[in-house]
Amino acid sequence: MIVQILVAIISTLAFAVLFHVPRQEYLYCAVNGGLGWAVYQMCLDSGIGVTVSSLWSALALTLVARILSAVRKMPSTVFLLAGIFTLVPGSGVYYTAYYLIMNDLSKSTSKGIETAKIAGAIVLGIIFGLALPQSWFNRLGRVTERNQDEK
Amino acid sequence: MSDSKKERPLRSAMRRKSCRNKKILNLAVSMGEELLKNGGEIYRVQETVCRVMEAYGVLDFQVFVITNGIFATVHENQEDAGSMVRYVPLGDINLEKIAGINQLSREICQGSCTVDEAMRKLEDCRQIPPIPSPLLIFACGIESAGLCYLLGGRPFDCVFTFLLGMLLQWFLLAAGKRHTSKFLMNILGSAMVTTGSLVLYVLGLHIQFDRIIIGGIILLMPGVALVTAIRDLFNGDYLSGSIRLMDALLTGACIAIGVGAAVKVFQLLGGGVLPL
Repeated sequence: MIVQILVAIISTLAFAVLFHVPRQEYLYCAVNGGLGWAVYQMCLDSGIGVTVSSLWSALALTLVARILSAVRKMPSTVFLLAGIFTLVPGSGVYYTAYYLIMNDLSKSTSKGIETAKIAGAIVLGIIFGLALPQSWFNRLGRVTERNQDEK
Repeated sequence: MSDSKKERPLRSAMRRKSCRNKKILNLAVSMGEELLKNGGEIYRVQETVCRVMEAYGVLDFQVFVITNGIFATVHENQEDAGSMVRYVPLGDINLEKIAGINQLSREICQGSCTVDEAMRKLEDCRQIPPIPSPLLIFACGIESAGLCYLLGGRPFDCVFTFLLGMLLQWFLLAAGKRHTSKFLMNILGSAMVTTGSLVLYVLGLHIQFDRIIIGGIILLMPGVALVTAIRDLFNGDYLSGSIRLMDALLTGACIAIGVGAAVKVFQLLGGGVLPL
């Protein structure tokens, strides 16, 4: 589990490099990615299934990205894009195509639908995360600013 | 100039104002263009253009942004109206530039930046050097290997995923320089990863070729397009969201085609002997 999270952090860091995330934000991006994967794994372990796990972890990622964006004064996309990639159902696309070629239509269809479900869950997670009013996050940004001034 | 100034001071003042308006329009639209080109969401582009215009005191304007174009007009008292249309093709994601422009627009809104200064800063933003290719290639290898591990690969598989990921990024960079169509790049890229891992498998290495393929093709996955499409749709920019969603779906289909074609070729070559 710890190793998995570490690997997730490293992969997210690599994604951050690929998307040209500003250098001073690499660390935050990577931590966000690790957090997303940790939530995903914990949900999977508790046995609520891949789809719902994707939803929760996408939600967690989006919320943390918005908090970070308020605190670091950066667009939230910066923290969201790299982190979300560990959740993207790449295996689903692969197996759908693979079984289709192998003429195993029932498996192909079920994998295809599962992929669509996971993608939909991630989408829902992001939408829930974005639906919270910006003013809450702005307040958080102001609080941290004040703390820095006091220090 | 001085003559006309004496004769028609009003006219000249108006022309100066119109000139300034056009400059502001140019600045705002250029900033929007840069955001859009590097993968910004529609509402961010629209808001940035509006805020820059308002910060410089241009109040009578209209902006319309879609995924691959910006339309903006300024019509302060009709006589010195100006308009600008920019075509913006979908480009690569560069979050550093987006963050830079965001910072610039914040400065403009705080009023700490004249139009000319802002234009210079925008130019600086454009000139941000891209990350050197060797680092990109290395990062891609790391990312592929990491994903392979997360999706159930063994460390032994990750070594090969690392190599294939580097190969893939090298191919993408080389193809990008020649302006290969994006769809062809996706099909060839995923076919390349699949072929690579199947060749290794056929050579007798005990690898989980499916994990390697999945780790390799993650880079091609339209995750960014999907996220941006959702954000656009959610903000009510249905047209732009649909454009990006189409992009995401077609990219996914292209990857599937590439993988499928490569697997099929191997199946035919092996005459059904291969235990794929």
